[in-house]
Amino acid sequence: MSRRKRSALAVLAIGSLALATACAKGNAGAPATSSAPTASKTDLVQLFTPAKVSIGTADDSKGPAIPPEGVVKGGTVNMIDRDDYAHLDPGRIYDNVAANFSLLITRQLTGYKRVAKGEYKVVGDLATDTGQSSEGGKTWKFTLKDGVKWQDGSPITSGDVKWSIERLFAPFITEGPPYIQQWLTQEDYKKAYGGPYGGKELDGIETPDDKTVVFHFKSPHADANYALAMTGYGIVPKAKDTKEKYDKEPFSSGPYIIAKHTVDKSMDLERNPNWDAASDPIRGAYPDKWHLEFGYQSLPVTDRFIADTGDDKKTFSFYTHVNAERVQQVLENPSLQSRVLRQPSPYANYYYFNLDRVKDIKIRQAIAYAWPTKQIQQITGGPNVSVISTTILNPSVSGWQDYDLFGVKQNPSGNVEKAKELLASSSNPKPTIVYGYNNTPTEQRVTVAIKNQLAKIGVNVVAKPMDTKTYYDAIGKVDNGLDMYWAGWGADWPTAATVFPVIFGPIADGGYNQSHLKDPAIKAEIDRIMNLSDANEANKAWGELDKKIMETVTPGVPALNDVGLQLHGSLVGGAETDPISWVVSPNTIFVKQ
Amino acid sequence: MLRFLTRRTIGAAVILLIIAAVTFFLFFAVPADPARLACGKICPPETLAQARHNLGLDQPIFVQFVEWLAGVFVGRDYDGLGHCPAPCLGYSFVNHAPVFDTIVDRMPVTISLTLGSAIIFLLFGVSTGVVAALNQGKALDKIASVSSLIGASVQIYFVGTLAMYFLVFQWDVIERPRYVPFTDNPLQWAYGLLLPWIVLAIIFTANYTRMTRSTMVEQLGEDYVRTARAKGMPARTVITRFALRGTLTPIVTIFGIDVGTLIGGAIITETTFSLQGIGRLSIQAVVNSDLPMLMATVLLAAAAIVVFNVIVDALYAVIDPRVRLS
Repeated sequence: MSRRKRSALAVLAIGSLALATACAKGNAGAPATSSAPTASKTDLVQLFTPAKVSIGTADDSKGPAIPPEGVVKGGTVNMIDRDDYAHLDPGRIYDNVAANFSLLITRQLTGYKRVAKGEYKVVGDLATDTGQSSEGGKTWKFTLKDGVKWQDGSPITSGDVKWSIERLFAPFITEGPPYIQQWLTQEDYKKAYGGPYGGKELDGIETPDDKTVVFHFKSPHADANYALAMTGYGIVPKAKDTKEKYDKEPFSSGPYIIAKHTVDKSMDLERNPNWDAASDPIRGAYPDKWHLEFGYQSLPVTDRFIADTGDDKKTFSFYTHVNAERVQQVLENPSLQSRVLRQPSPYANYYYFNLDRVKDIKIRQAIAYAWPTKQIQQITGGPNVSVISTTILNPSVSGWQDYDLFGVKQNPSGNVEKAKELLASSSNPKPTIVYGYNNTPTEQRVTVAIKNQLAKIGVNVVAKPMDTKTYYDAIGKVDNGLDMYWAGWGADWPTAATVFPVIFGPIADGGYNQSHLKDPAIKAEIDRIMNLSDANEANKAWGELDKKIMETVTPGVPALNDVGLQLHGSLVGGAETDPISWVVSPNTIFVKQ
Repeated sequence: MLRFLTRRTIGAAVILLIIAAVTFFLFFAVPADPARLACGKICPPETLAQARHNLGLDQPIFVQFVEWLAGVFVGRDYDGLGHCPAPCLGYSFVNHAPVFDTIVDRMPVTISLTLGSAIIFLLFGVSTGVVAALNQGKALDKIASVSSLIGASVQIYFVGTLAMYFLVFQWDVIERPRYVPFTDNPLQWAYGLLLPWIVLAIIFTANYTRMTRSTMVEQLGEDYVRTARAKGMPARTVITRFALRGTLTPIVTIFGIDVGTLIGGAIITETTFSLQGIGRLSIQAVVNSDLPMLMATVLLAAAAIVVFNVIVDALYAVIDPRVRLS
């Protein structure tokens, strides 16, 4: 339609807008419900099969990246989302969205290579392989590839890698991951070293030559190569490090350079002429240019993708999910299915018990048996937007073992009889549970379902609404006055090393051990596994520990695992939700001609 | 006039100072810790303490307020980030930019949104009100009354969302709203904001129609209007020079408040139409616990209301010679 015709029609159409507003009833549609397509139409089990992540070889670490089917190079791809990236300095990046974007401009020692749909390998990114460990995993040696360069053509050296780690100790960097720093020094690592800007070097990292970097950790860490794949350990050149200001002016080691950035509004990327695809097994970097725009809410983004007109055909979103009001429409429209992305979250959620207050395991297990999983699933959007979880670990974590201790998959509405039986033999057959919940409309409805269901087994639920903004602060207090509450956790890499030691770690105000689990046997097992040097052995042990914790302690009821639902423009190819970061990967994106 | 403006300016400054202080201290009444947001997911105590220091949150609240206030008048230095010249409204540690620069960057969007919609709803609202008053009890009056009732009943997030859905995405009759600077392309500037202007006008026009109609009906029954008619003055002159002039005082009052409110940030409009103005900035500041940005947007909104109230008061004397600025 021509612009002139559009303008003329606009006047007519706008004139009738008041009438339209009066006539339309609930135009936006209701939230997705159980009437959305069910497993009979879509094999959700197959669709939501967890991704496999394994350790790659030196050969796997060679570039270029494996191209997606039908790949075309060139063109400009557009990306729209709500928020700009909080940080561009890799050392200050922890969140998955900024980390995902950062793949376009930053490289690490290691990274994740897409081998096939749902299959990934940890490979050397700047390094020739995933590192060689010795001393039982206390020492890790990496060798840099030949020909890897910064955007100005200068070579990337082991000195740059060392500098990038050292600067994470500087006072102005507080936002990134702490693992490598802690492993090199101590738990509260900022006390151990103040950063390299005063001229002092960090013990524990050796650079015998320009291509070799050796990490000496205080204890064994079998998955250091996973940790180093985090964007937080992306490299920063010593010669171009502008400290705080680097966050605004990052120096690229990746396939693109930031050509223009208006904070919170837009960003344009152009090719980095000194990036060599042959050295990079991870990034396809197929479009010539990227245009990113920020400030768009979920509903208009969804509507733009549904309409699929003009430049929106070449547009996708890293993380904006289909708005709840459009979920049903999107799932039921056959013409949209080729542009739909669905991927279960790699994170895990739990309804934790406060073990300091709910001390009887029989009461905890009775509640777990009776839990209204199906009712909660219906309230939160139905089986198309969540999957039932029965384990502590997310299925995408290496070593995950499937089990269903409380028969939730058989009885998703809750096994009331079994729960009553257990409760009758407990220390208090009529317990009162103070349940704290995030005071949102959805959680209010979920709380009613929980209260009604637990009333059936004789548990009196006292629901305590909590302010959304301070919810985590409130439940994070050791003396929080609550018996049960919801909380989520995401592994920082797909092994359990950043799950169990954290969610069952130190008990402190603001800590992450929400259940206050302090079982000595479990603590000892966590420590034992952490010290294993064999990653496969560790993964197997984590999987076994998962079931053991639920059997012997039952610190919580695993909550539903969200399933992401995204759309993209029809001329965007290679769009896939990364199962590790749960955002659309930039590595496979291309623009169809 | 000078005395009036001086007195009102001093009063406005006092009001803004009180609002700034209340906003600042209320921010700390919320039990959330902004430093926690500036610390990673796993945040050791020393790192949290460092984040708190970097944000200046380790100082007593009163000291923080005085430093912020001093920055407005004489500028401020930030470790590693350099000098923030006056008027320094602070440095946002969320979007990592001086607050003043961000406000200046976003202001044109909000001013453009306000300007266009204000012209439409003022002209359209007053003219339909006049037409309704002159046709009291007739079909035109009833149509105007019903339309304004509907307009006053709906909300921007409802009309705006519907307008976007049907006009932009379903029927493709107008382009998606976007902001193009006036200096770049005046036509694109107007076309890009046409839909938000009209939607805002639908909501605001109703007030003007109803206010104009009722005041106009009142004015038409006044002795001086009757006298003017009795002396044989043409109807158009009677309406425009006498009746309409008498009608303008309440119209100017609500217009001042409306424009002041919109300049302070059309939060829902900007969010609905994905426009990056002051309104969206203020929402982000609240969500992100971004105190410097929150202070700036609250003060801007307050200043806009105060300034437009002063302008309205000054205009009273121009519109109605009986009013003296004293």
